[in-house]
Amino acid sequence: MPHAGTMSILRKRLHDFDDVLNGEEIDITSLKRLCFHGVPDEGGLRPLCWKLLLNYLPSTRASWSETLSRKRELYKTFIDDLIVMPGEADVDGERVDVTLQDHPLNLNPDSKWQTFFKDNEVLLQIDKDVRRLCPDISFFQQGTDYPCKAIVNVSGSKRLHRRVQHTVLRSANVERKGLGITKIAVSVRKAVEDYAPLAEGGEAHWEVLERILFLYAKLNPGQGYVQGMNEIVGPIYHAFACDPDHQWREHAEADTFFCFTNLMAEIRDFFIKSLDEAEFGINSMMSKLTRQVKVNDHEVWLRLHQQELCPQYYSFRWLTLLLSQEFPLPDVMRIWDSLFADENRFSFLIHICCAMILLLRDQLLAGDFATNVKLLQNFPSMDIQIVLSKAAALAGKTLNSS
Amino acid sequence: MSYAYLFKYIIIGDTGVGKSCLLLQFTDKRFQPVHDLTIGVEFGARMITIDGKQIKLQIWDTAGQEAFRSITRSYYRGAAGALLVYDITRRETFNHLTTWLEDARQHSNSNMVIMLIGNKSDLDSRREVRREEGEAFAREHGLVFMETSAKTAANVEEAFINTAKEIYEKIQEGVFDINNEANGIKIGPQHSPTSPGGLAGNGGQGGAQGGGCC
Repeated sequence: MPHAGTMSILRKRLHDFDDVLNGEEIDITSLKRLCFHGVPDEGGLRPLCWKLLLNYLPSTRASWSETLSRKRELYKTFIDDLIVMPGEADVDGERVDVTLQDHPLNLNPDSKWQTFFKDNEVLLQIDKDVRRLCPDISFFQQGTDYPCKAIVNVSGSKRLHRRVQHTVLRSANVERKGLGITKIAVSVRKAVEDYAPLAEGGEAHWEVLERILFLYAKLNPGQGYVQGMNEIVGPIYHAFACDPDHQWREHAEADTFFCFTNLMAEIRDFFIKSLDEAEFGINSMMSKLTRQVKVNDHEVWLRLHQQELCPQYYSFRWLTLLLSQEFPLPDVMRIWDSLFADENRFSFLIHICCAMILLLRDQLLAGDFATNVKLLQNFPSMDIQIVLSKAAALAGKTLNSS
Repeated sequence: MSYAYLFKYIIIGDTGVGKSCLLLQFTDKRFQPVHDLTIGVEFGARMITIDGKQIKLQIWDTAGQEAFRSITRSYYRGAAGALLVYDITRRETFNHLTTWLEDARQHSNSNMVIMLIGNKSDLDSRREVRREEGEAFAREHGLVFMETSAKTAANVEEAFINTAKEIYEKIQEGVFDINNEANGIKIGPQHSPTSPGGLAGNGGQGGAQGGGCC
């Protein structure tokens, strides 16, 4: 047995994680305590810990394989049931009678065609957003090693981005000229070059995200798709799709879907405008942040208050997106280790936001309104460990440096 | 830096029409082909000169999606100018203008100057909305109209500056109560009450409150 002192800090930490994770029954409290200080990038630990922290994997190791196969099978049925082209052959190969049962002009709200057109509006939005996710790294434009077989091998008819391409063409190029005369333009629109879909049989990571978000919107009609969800699902998927173990990587899509769904269940109030004023709605989170700044640094609080620099101007995005737009992806992952490990779900988020403001103290006290809004909206690059240590101190904890 | 006036703007319109890119082109003179999604609001500021006077523009760039409208609305109130943007290559963004306009008119002060912007004029081969349609819509609703390209910077300066000119003229005519900050106009700290441009129009028509500047 090597003496603890001779082990490097990293080896010690990996060892601690192994200890907690290799038991038959995983102690989630211990796991949370470890993850709060950051999950090492090595050995696929992060994707595994996140699956546990987001309540996707049960704490009993023996039940993992059953849970995983059940969930992944369920995800397959979501794809089969929810991504459908009306008027296409049924499962048993019979052609649907378009004229009698259903057709594109059917006004019945239960009509498959009606649903299809409504879905495409949502899809158009998702399509635009996933294509502009993390433009500074090329990951999302690259092809996945595990394209969804049910989608990519049916001559494109189920590929979601094609649906919206079609819709745009149909509605846009038909021009009405006087009474009943229509002119149909035949120009074909080009896709944004860099985010071009891959050829038949392959698909890019952004296409996978598009499908996850579309299914989420279909299954949660009360909420639907709200911009920013793409920024929440992105880091989770990135972590899972980069797992060194191909058996995990292969199922990154389904696993991401359920972890994202669980995470959204906890932060969904931020995304529902009717709940903006509710107890855990976004406005109450922003008030908590203001109060915390006031308590910890009255001078900075007074400065922002006098400048009428409301928290909505900067912290709305910080809180809604769990800081995913403020820092580079590796830092976001590190922040999320702590957030997911937070016992009082996301109260640590407020501490991080407060730390960010206090770390800019000198600049804020010197700057005018415009300078300060810009500063807060474009948080300067900073060692994330400094931000998190400060946040931990505010929370009355100490952070082990990793 | 000292300024004679400060004008507040808001940029509105459907998501993806190029609102953030217009702002970036105007404030930083650069174009970012793939821009991060705007969640909530983004902010930009720049100094311009009109009629020999320094005018500071504070611009609020808003999120386009319906889910964020309730947040956007709170920004209308303090705005003197609005840029209402659509994408000339996407017909639906033009079709939604009426809703945007109703929203803006309902929540802003009645004197707010609205500039209609057809953006992405560099993509003429993919055009879905004719220039004349934009002009007609603007005429019908009493807006100023321009086609711009945030990519090539065509007309971007003009769009922001012409809006400021309109506001400036309205101040001269005494239409705006410049002592009420809710109108999105603020008199600069260095601006003396005796200076000719500032308050001259104020005592004139419209029964605006005369008298002292802050």
